[in-house]
Amino acid sequence: MPFIFSVDIGGTFTDLVACDLDSGALSFSKSPTTYDDLGRGVFDCIRRASVDARDAIFVKHGTTLVINALLQRSGAVTALVTTRGFADVLEIARGNRMRPFDLRFRRDEPLIPHELRFEVSERMLASGQVETPLAESELKDLAGRLREAKVEAVAISFLNAYANPEHEQRAAKILRELLPGTFVTSGTEVTREWHEFERTATAASNAYVGPQVSRYVEHFDASLRKVGFPGSLLFMGSHGGVVSSARTVREPISLVESGPVGGCIGAARYAASLGLENIIAFDMGGTTAKCILIENGEYAVESTYYIGGEETGFPIRGNVIDIVEVGAGGGSIAWVDEHGGMSVGPRSAGSTPGPVCYGRGGTEPTVTDANLVLGRLDAGYFLGGEMKLDAPAAQQAIAKKIAEPLQYRGESAVAKAASGILTIAGFTMADAIKRISISRGKDPRDFALVSYGGGGPLHSAELARELHIPFVIIPPEPGNFSATGMLLAEARLDSARTFVAELSEASMQQLTGVMAELQQGARAAMEADFGSESEANKAKVAFRNQAELRYVGQKHSLKVALPEQQSLEELSAIFHRAYRQRYGHSMPGAPVEFVAIHVAATLEMRRPRTDALMSQQSRVHEGRPRTRPVYFLDAERYVPTPVYNRYDLPVGFAADGPAVIEEYGATTLVGPRDKFSIGELKEIKIDCRN
Amino acid sequence: MTAETNLSAARKSVPEAPSRVDPVTVEVIKRRLVSIADHMDLNITRTAFSLLVSEYKDYAVGIVDGEGRLLCQSTAGMPLFIADVLGSCVRDGLKVYGADGFAEGDVVISNDIGQHLNNVAMYTPVFEGRTIVAFVVVVMHWVDIGGRNLGSTSRFATDIWQEGLLINTVKLYSAGRLNEEVQRIIRTNSRLPEELMGDIDAQIGACYMGRDGVDGIVKKYGLEVFRESVVAMWDQAERAARKAIAAVPDGIYTAEAFMDDDGLNRGKPIPLKVKVVIKGDEMTVDLSELPKETKSAINAGESGGGWSVARLGFRYAILPEGHASEGTFRPLKLVLPQGNIMNCGPTAARSYYNLALPTLIDLVIKSLATAIPDRVAGGHYATFSSVRFRGNKPGTRQAFQCAESGFGGWGALSDGDGPGPFRTMCHGDTRLIPMEAQEAEFPIVFESMGLLPDSGGPGEFRGGLGMIKKYKVLAPCEFSVSVDRTACPPWGINGGGAATGGGATITKADGSSGAVLKEVTNMDKGDRVTIWTGGGGGYGPAEKRAIERIRQDVSRGHVSREAAERDYGVVLDEQLNVVRRQAPVKRDSA
Repeated sequence: MPFIFSVDIGGTFTDLVACDLDSGALSFSKSPTTYDDLGRGVFDCIRRASVDARDAIFVKHGTTLVINALLQRSGAVTALVTTRGFADVLEIARGNRMRPFDLRFRRDEPLIPHELRFEVSERMLASGQVETPLAESELKDLAGRLREAKVEAVAISFLNAYANPEHEQRAAKILRELLPGTFVTSGTEVTREWHEFERTATAASNAYVGPQVSRYVEHFDASLRKVGFPGSLLFMGSHGGVVSSARTVREPISLVESGPVGGCIGAARYAASLGLENIIAFDMGGTTAKCILIENGEYAVESTYYIGGEETGFPIRGNVIDIVEVGAGGGSIAWVDEHGGMSVGPRSAGSTPGPVCYGRGGTEPTVTDANLVLGRLDAGYFLGGEMKLDAPAAQQAIAKKIAEPLQYRGESAVAKAASGILTIAGFTMADAIKRISISRGKDPRDFALVSYGGGGPLHSAELARELHIPFVIIPPEPGNFSATGMLLAEARLDSARTFVAELSEASMQQLTGVMAELQQGARAAMEADFGSESEANKAKVAFRNQAELRYVGQKHSLKVALPEQQSLEELSAIFHRAYRQRYGHSMPGAPVEFVAIHVAATLEMRRPRTDALMSQQSRVHEGRPRTRPVYFLDAERYVPTPVYNRYDLPVGFAADGPAVIEEYGATTLVGPRDKFSIGELKEIKIDCRN
Repeated sequence: MTAETNLSAARKSVPEAPSRVDPVTVEVIKRRLVSIADHMDLNITRTAFSLLVSEYKDYAVGIVDGEGRLLCQSTAGMPLFIADVLGSCVRDGLKVYGADGFAEGDVVISNDIGQHLNNVAMYTPVFEGRTIVAFVVVVMHWVDIGGRNLGSTSRFATDIWQEGLLINTVKLYSAGRLNEEVQRIIRTNSRLPEELMGDIDAQIGACYMGRDGVDGIVKKYGLEVFRESVVAMWDQAERAARKAIAAVPDGIYTAEAFMDDDGLNRGKPIPLKVKVVIKGDEMTVDLSELPKETKSAINAGESGGGWSVARLGFRYAILPEGHASEGTFRPLKLVLPQGNIMNCGPTAARSYYNLALPTLIDLVIKSLATAIPDRVAGGHYATFSSVRFRGNKPGTRQAFQCAESGFGGWGALSDGDGPGPFRTMCHGDTRLIPMEAQEAEFPIVFESMGLLPDSGGPGEFRGGLGMIKKYKVLAPCEFSVSVDRTACPPWGINGGGAATGGGATITKADGSSGAVLKEVTNMDKGDRVTIWTGGGGGYGPAEKRAIERIRQDVSRGHVSREAAERDYGVVLDEQLNVVRRQAPVKRDSA
């Protein structure tokens, strides 16, 4: 009984999904996250899922370890080595203030304080020429001081190293020799892009989390081996693919968004098996809502990511799936300010105290409270009835905190206030979807919305209407979809090369060489990382190429797909079109230049069948009313609405809205003007066209 | 008058009666407008050609109604442009063309907006039927618009015609069609036509995109709901503003400082005095005691100058939160006679219109030091400290201009050390241009860039640090620099000490060197420039600073051991143990 499994360690729960490769059966298990020893929670999950680790081929693991270490500043004692004269680059940052009138505005402290920043003599020019050779003798003295300071990790970042990384490479080699057991990384090992602050911050972050991630991987691997696990331990990378343990240890920063991407990938692959190439994946949880966009089966990967948010945090360069996240979740708190303005989020009641209706001491009305008051949630069937909700308390909180200050009066005051909460939360969610689509030059009408997470299915039909999205898809087990998604992810390795040349027949010739080199390198790296796996030898490495282009003279560039065998005219036309689509105008006569070439190498892995994602057990719920009044925002009133149990609905079932479809971890709402049906893969498909 | 009675005054002046539009709709429309402005902002950064626009982000985005009243600005735009320039250029246009003189697709440009001529406002109308519901406005610093020298701004300009092409309300597009003649005039009058035309395309693209966005909102909600929501939004903003002012004790508050000189009359200080009157829920900024407009280039027009001081000072000191709209500034009055440097006549030179702005804004804050002690901060370094290298790229006839301004310390607060280094209070989300980007494009090399120890004013809370950077020039070029506030360094507040001011030196390849403040000079290969900025002023007496903070300052290199002893009276040994604490040597204090 060979099987594969995935583990998602979240803030509250550790989720495991195992897939039996013979029968295709899935099993799910859940266990509280054990912060002191994360592995314990995982093994508890393995036990609960009644699977035998000895039969496992591989495990895919998503973790928030990296981002948490950076946010909580719990990483290693880390030193930074820079070009002489530039130790403060990391602290000065870009000097911008994101809150324009705030005298108290300040950025988060630099990851590495002044005491641990060191300078060595060397200087590279922008042309890549050496101006001052690397003073290797200084490094010997430096190693002594680093030892004295009990440094566990070292980041090296030199000015203009993007143009020529020789000095960084040499310095890294020397320090590795002189400081065995210390984690040493250089900026250009992680990113070859220019801009000294961003690259330095990336090197610093990689070093900062390096020792902790190494220890974690080692410990986790050893404990798996102890229970007889013979397979490979793989990690979910921020770029949406799976990476090997060895690479994770070298480039831990590539796991910065390891946690949340699983669901997005799952949504993309799930939709592909439904024949949907263009989707927006929408995930709404307790605190935030996230979305990504998939076009022609592919999602975009961005190279700048902010640790701690753009406002006061700092950027790192690395490949992170292009994701928009907003503070609108079930726990988002609603309030009215003293001037009669109403807001929802980003403050969240979280899971403790949680929404008022949880009865755990929460006093401020939340999105979940509004949903409950409006009949959209069933107080008796939350988490399949495991948790009772206190509807009168929610009602009271909304009356007092929202309806009263807004001077809503009469019988319908609370419903009006609650629908106001949902309208504003809905705006925030719609805005996130607009940012991932319209702001990127895409029209949401060309996409289907794939919605999951605890709250996604409750809001997605209304969101789709607001944005004129024609269809909504709710996959099975939407509450567990993040771990399921990981099981569907392929292995991936991204590489890039700066290639600045005006678009011409000559540069197209050179391009062929650059791409071949990149692909060769990526293939070799993939084989080194995944070669030991049986399926890797059978499967083939596939490549997706992208060119980063801009008009000559511009400072920012645009990535476009770069199919093999491209003619000059075609590529140029692709760029002008993409530019126009994104920015609303283009300059057809203007010269265009290459800035960089990107190659994503992927490798298909064994994965569950997408028609078998529904959990096997049926959770029957007795004695519920078959209809109840539900408030719909666009109807602006309560509508008598049939209530279905998702586990009872057979493939091919179809009905008109309105409808409520309940299952263990989520409730799906179908609007009065919508239709819905159960598709081949047991997905709920909502048609919002008319 | 107590704050409470002021509150009731606030209620009186803006009726609480809710408008007919639902507050939820108002909120959603407000946020949609801001979201459109933010999207325009992002696209300009991504599509611009010059570093000044794409990295420095020297532009602003706003949406005004059909009469030029402010609906919103982008979230993180430059505060400098919050002044009425967005509305006043539109009102000029309405005067020139009349309300029925616009067509869908018109793009109007104007740089007669009281700032230097590089700042060009561009706007396009949004129609609903035959009615103009809004104008979408983008003000952007054009890299070169003619005039005496490359970059257009000139230390030596004595009237406006020396500063470049003056464009007072001209249609670049008429009904969506490019006016090629206008475009040709702009192109042929610029020394950097490729960069400029690329930036202008970004500006136009953003205008049209914003227009479509606003149009979408009006279509969705209908003109009537849209307009009622805007009125409700303004009233909300006005209530918030009045309430914030009412919380400040009534009184007449003043503050003074001076600038070193105007760059032409060396060593002749320019005295600055600001009077702020708080009465009930209204605030008046009185600038009538400022000097008369001068022959030099430090003048500014009423909207670009005087209103900038009043609005920014008000926002920093009294109402930093929230998005500004027309209503935000209703309780704010400005007293500013014509012919004063912040309200100059139409022919006065304005290249350095911003010279005194950061200091004037800071004076509004300083004047309120005792009135709202927990909201104010020590003085910030308050000078653009700009450097420009201009010339031809080596071996070509292609012009280049490397322009950057300084980052300095900000003032300490009642509960924490001063932040920074940031740009001045006129700047917001504008970024330091990466050295790697500058070195790749211009014939300069940086020799160092770092924080400047001991530059922050001492106090219970220390002012933020200034910065020091060193350049080496790789090819002959012209160098200009503008440093000020050296004789009147950033002040401390409520007992805090002053910071050190900025400065600059030029060292020629032959080893000779000299200090410079405002200078335009030729550089040769191998010449070097060192420029540093001031810190921020301290808050509260230095004697009260916690030992732990002093020790950390010394350990982080922010304060030297010598300065710890001199400014804080704390004598530390090599291991940073306290040997003794004595009375500090007093520096001046406000």
